[in-house]
Amino acid sequence: MALNALICDDSLLARNQLKKSLPAEFDANIVTASNGVEALATLRSQEIGLVFLDLTMPELDGIGVLEAIKADAMDCLVIVVSADIQPEMQKRVMELGALAFIQKPASAAKLADVMHKYGLI
Amino acid sequence: MTDFQFSEEQRDCLQELVNVAMGLASDKLARYLNTLVHLQVPAIKLVKTEQLPEHFADRHQQQSVTMISLGFFGDQGLRGETIMLYQLENVGVIAKLLGYSDDDSSEAEMLTDISSVLTTTFLNGLAEQLDNSFSYAAPRILSSRDKHFAEKLASTAEQWQLALQVDIRYQLTDYSFNCDMILLIPGEAVLRLRLILDQILASF
Repeated sequence: MALNALICDDSLLARNQLKKSLPAEFDANIVTASNGVEALATLRSQEIGLVFLDLTMPELDGIGVLEAIKADAMDCLVIVVSADIQPEMQKRVMELGALAFIQKPASAAKLADVMHKYGLI
Repeated sequence: MTDFQFSEEQRDCLQELVNVAMGLASDKLARYLNTLVHLQVPAIKLVKTEQLPEHFADRHQQQSVTMISLGFFGDQGLRGETIMLYQLENVGVIAKLLGYSDDDSSEAEMLTDISSVLTTTFLNGLAEQLDNSFSYAAPRILSSRDKHFAEKLASTAEQWQLALQVDIRYQLTDYSFNCDMILLIPGEAVLRLRLILDQILASF
């Protein structure tokens, strides 16, 4: 059965960029959210195995989503895809349980590398 | 009359390009000041340049501000000017953190240095995504604790047809440091920018 994956980003361009850059062999049903509140609503109502999460978003940012995922012990993997590339921020998201950090704009090669490394493709 | 407005898709596209460029600039600033910078979603809007002095007079009437400008020139008619507006409430703290002495000339020197870091990193990041490259004029201080701030901003702004106002808040972990960045772009560069945004959108 195909995995359900969530792309959460406030930018339509970024969501489309990411969707197009995913490896062809990644067999998943893609759903999207445009802020952290929408993402948490999706995570609480659907079985989502993998989240591609932006950090800088309105309503609720990516850090807030990671904190909620950790607090509620949700069973999903998170790959942060963000323009906020400060080393301190990358450290923080990893401490909050993210699987990996990818700098925006996410290249197809980088996405494939990370997803291959963690057995997602 | 030429229509300089952006469609919702073009605005979203530009906001994402600005977001990525801002991320690069924030990372540079964080390393420069050795602190964490909290990024916020950039607010972008197009405003008529004649409205700028009034807008900023309203916004900064309670605070002293320093305004630093940097001209940029790219390929295919992309050019413009950035204006960084700094509120001066916490400048002394930052000056001490960076080892500048506590006088006005050092304050100007420090803000010019920070502006160079922020604007050139931001603009280089933007140019790369637009498949362009920018060169820069030397930064200049347009106003510092100046009673004629609005007039000076007006005389700078009136050279341009359109202002792309990018509200950026660089909030630092240990203290508040706010600055606004404004991109001033001539009309023909706006038209060029829209074409490039359409090409980017068409590729996705």
